[in-house]
Amino acid sequence: MRFRQLVITVTLAWLALFVLAPHILVLLTSLLSPDTQQLASYPFTMQSYTRLWEPVYASAFWQSFWLSLLTTVICLLIGYPFAWTLARLPKLPRALLLFLMMVPFWTNSLIRTYAIKLILGAKGLINSTLLSLGLIDTPLQLLYTPFAVIFGLVYILLPFMVLPLVTTFSKLDNRLLEAARDLGATPWQRFVQVILPLSMPGVIAGSLIVFLPAMGMFYVSDLLGGAKNLLLGNIIKNQFLVVRDWPFGAALSITLIVLMGLLLWFYVQANRRINRQGGLDDNAL
Amino acid sequence: MTLRAIVSSVLCVLSVAAHADGKVVVYNWAEYIPEGVLEQFTEKTGIKVEYSTYDNNETMYAKLKLQNGKGYDIVVPSTYLVSRMRKEGLIQPIDHARLTNYKHLDPDLLDKPYDPGNQYSIPYLWGSTAIGVNSDDIDPASITGWADLWDEQWRGKLLLIDDMREVFHMAYKINGVSTNTTDPAQIEQAYEKLKTLMPNVLVFNADAPREPFLAGDVSLGMLWSGEASMAQEENAAIEYVYPSEGAGFWIDNFVIPAGAENVENAHKFLDFMLRPEVAKQAVEEIGYATPNLTARDLLDEETRNNPIIFPSADVVKAGEFQEDIGEEANALMNDYWEKLKSGQ
Repeated sequence: MRFRQLVITVTLAWLALFVLAPHILVLLTSLLSPDTQQLASYPFTMQSYTRLWEPVYASAFWQSFWLSLLTTVICLLIGYPFAWTLARLPKLPRALLLFLMMVPFWTNSLIRTYAIKLILGAKGLINSTLLSLGLIDTPLQLLYTPFAVIFGLVYILLPFMVLPLVTTFSKLDNRLLEAARDLGATPWQRFVQVILPLSMPGVIAGSLIVFLPAMGMFYVSDLLGGAKNLLLGNIIKNQFLVVRDWPFGAALSITLIVLMGLLLWFYVQANRRINRQGGLDDNAL
Repeated sequence: MTLRAIVSSVLCVLSVAAHADGKVVVYNWAEYIPEGVLEQFTEKTGIKVEYSTYDNNETMYAKLKLQNGKGYDIVVPSTYLVSRMRKEGLIQPIDHARLTNYKHLDPDLLDKPYDPGNQYSIPYLWGSTAIGVNSDDIDPASITGWADLWDEQWRGKLLLIDDMREVFHMAYKINGVSTNTTDPAQIEQAYEKLKTLMPNVLVFNADAPREPFLAGDVSLGMLWSGEASMAQEENAAIEYVYPSEGAGFWIDNFVIPAGAENVENAHKFLDFMLRPEVAKQAVEEIGYATPNLTARDLLDEETRNNPIIFPSADVVKAGEFQEDIGEEANALMNDYWEKLKSGQ
């Protein structure tokens, strides 16, 4: 019992010091007045939040939103069948494949992003292959485009989509599928009416942990997108490091956090609905 | 104010742990020191060097500001930042009596308005910002000025230096105004001009703008003189064109932050970097011009006469050196800069 108390105390202290306190600082900073001399100063003001509605930031926000959404959809389209296949495999090959998927994580993602640069460049792997096959005459412009940014984001974030889906699929009760078949459901009906609803918690969980980091991964768009302001993360980074408007950078961060909160709330609501409909509960994730 | 006090006190606690004798903490531009020089310095003096790098002036300034001028013993701001940091008390006077090699410096590059008498700063390297052209893809003779970058045929093809002042310089020169203007109308005009350039931009780069040229991803764009001469060593086709409207010039300077903990060692490091043989090595390896006259004479003729590194007096006269433009103009340019980078 004392051990349990100790663990709880340590965890709470850790969270308070390194999660709660910094976030309160960010929140306070976002309410201060910008001051390039002192980084932030009194009085308290909502000025930074009203600036969010300036067209330049609103449109950057939408651009960032669409890029992240597209990344999520692509991850889902690739990850869903992959996770299904993986979950159906016998234990040993499944463990091996999951292990192989985790191996790239041993290398820093920044270094892997540099490697993507080499692959997508004008003299990179893709272009030189296509050129030598005679399929194209001049190198395709792949690097420094939104395509390259999405490519990099999908590459880095795909495992985060696959893992929750594999868990969901491997917990899926096979007898339900057999019952559906016995009752005359076609493969398509079995997918739409049985598999898809049952895997929704995995889909939502995976989508959330792909979508949210995608909005902030400024180094991917710095390196692969040509350092244009493509993601919200780029703008936040610039506000802190280059423009030195800390309150505004903090306001942007808070906006991102609020958005994350809203999406999590949506996740909980969706889960409840699925539960009411007799789907999986959260414990099955 | 209070917030900054909290943050800086936390950083103080962290930096106390790192405090030790016999070291100097250097914060320099990326790829901006000849190889082996730090080791030589440690060998000669027994002083250890803690070395880290940045890729734009603003990042360095933000860090120094946040830490109240503590944490580093040497940083290397460009001219315009030297005057700002001096005014804000972020840097401390340099004791010239302790610099036995100060005498090697070119008087033409000393005692400038940004730091009269060089009380606070010692020039390290200087260079220019002009146009890089890959002559394999583009005839360099067809590119004569900044205005040529606006041509529609370069849609989605250009590299720009990821630096506000450098990019605005192009528009200022085309509009025929000073690169150090603080006039809001002139700044806005420059923004309007640059807006029409943005569709041509493929990539912004400030850590190694030569890399996209060498990788074949771009064939035209802004380039720094040192990057151009380094690029030429790998690919002779990459040429450097001084634009007719005037190139941008800057001097990077060693300064000692006000809160430096190893002031004595910082002076020793400065004096070491001023040695002609070290300055010579810097030109040879980094490809920027040295203000060190003795070192210039030590260079081989080819390097000394390389117009990329040491431009002619006419080219320098046509161009303009960057100076501090003050907070207001800076903030205004920042707003426009954010818009430009977001494609607006």
